[in-house]
Amino acid sequence: MMKTRIKELRARYDLTQEELAKKVGVRRETILFIEKGNYNPSLQLAHDIAKALQTTIDDLFLFEEK
Amino acid sequence: MKGKKEIIVATIVVAMVLMTLFFYLMGTGEIELNQIGLVGIAIILVGLAMYIIWDKIRNVNKGLPGKDERTIFISYKAGYFGFIAAIWSAVIGSVLIDILFGYELDGGDVSAIVVLVGGFVFVVSYLYLYWKGK
Repeated sequence: MMKTRIKELRARYDLTQEELAKKVGVRRETILFIEKGNYNPSLQLAHDIAKALQTTIDDLFLFEEK
Repeated sequence: MKGKKEIIVATIVVAMVLMTLFFYLMGTGEIELNQIGLVGIAIILVGLAMYIIWDKIRNVNKGLPGKDERTIFISYKAGYFGFIAAIWSAVIGSVLIDILFGYELDGGDVSAIVVLVGGFVFVVSYLYLYWKGK
């Protein structure tokens, strides 16, 4: 199972879902579903989100064993 | 603007489908049961397609893309479901209608059923996956 720290980091940089979506060129719902763990982004999108939130993919996405 | 061309083309297609339906209904003297079903599905299909177009326009107006990797992915997935539904409707559609209503469909009706069922399943799957997230 995958968890993300997107919401936490968005709050740190005072970014809304829509603002982050604009930064990485996706729809707002895509950010919402990634945050909820309902959608696994591509490596490219994960990289773009990590870059926008000034972090790394490793730090942004946390994988838990089932 | 990203996705603008696609929105324009989709709007034109929806308008053409509505016009085709209008002329079809005007040209048909007495509407039969199977025609009501087919026209009903076509109208629902157009309604759902209009919703998808409206959603894209809403995103484009906000400065967001009309489509992104998630919508492309769910389009492929919904397309797969629509394809499977089209195949099965071709196989069992005419048999099922014969058993349920005692009505034997001709080739044109079967083609219409295949197209409409495939399209209907595509749009419903697309919306379901869209709201579910994947």
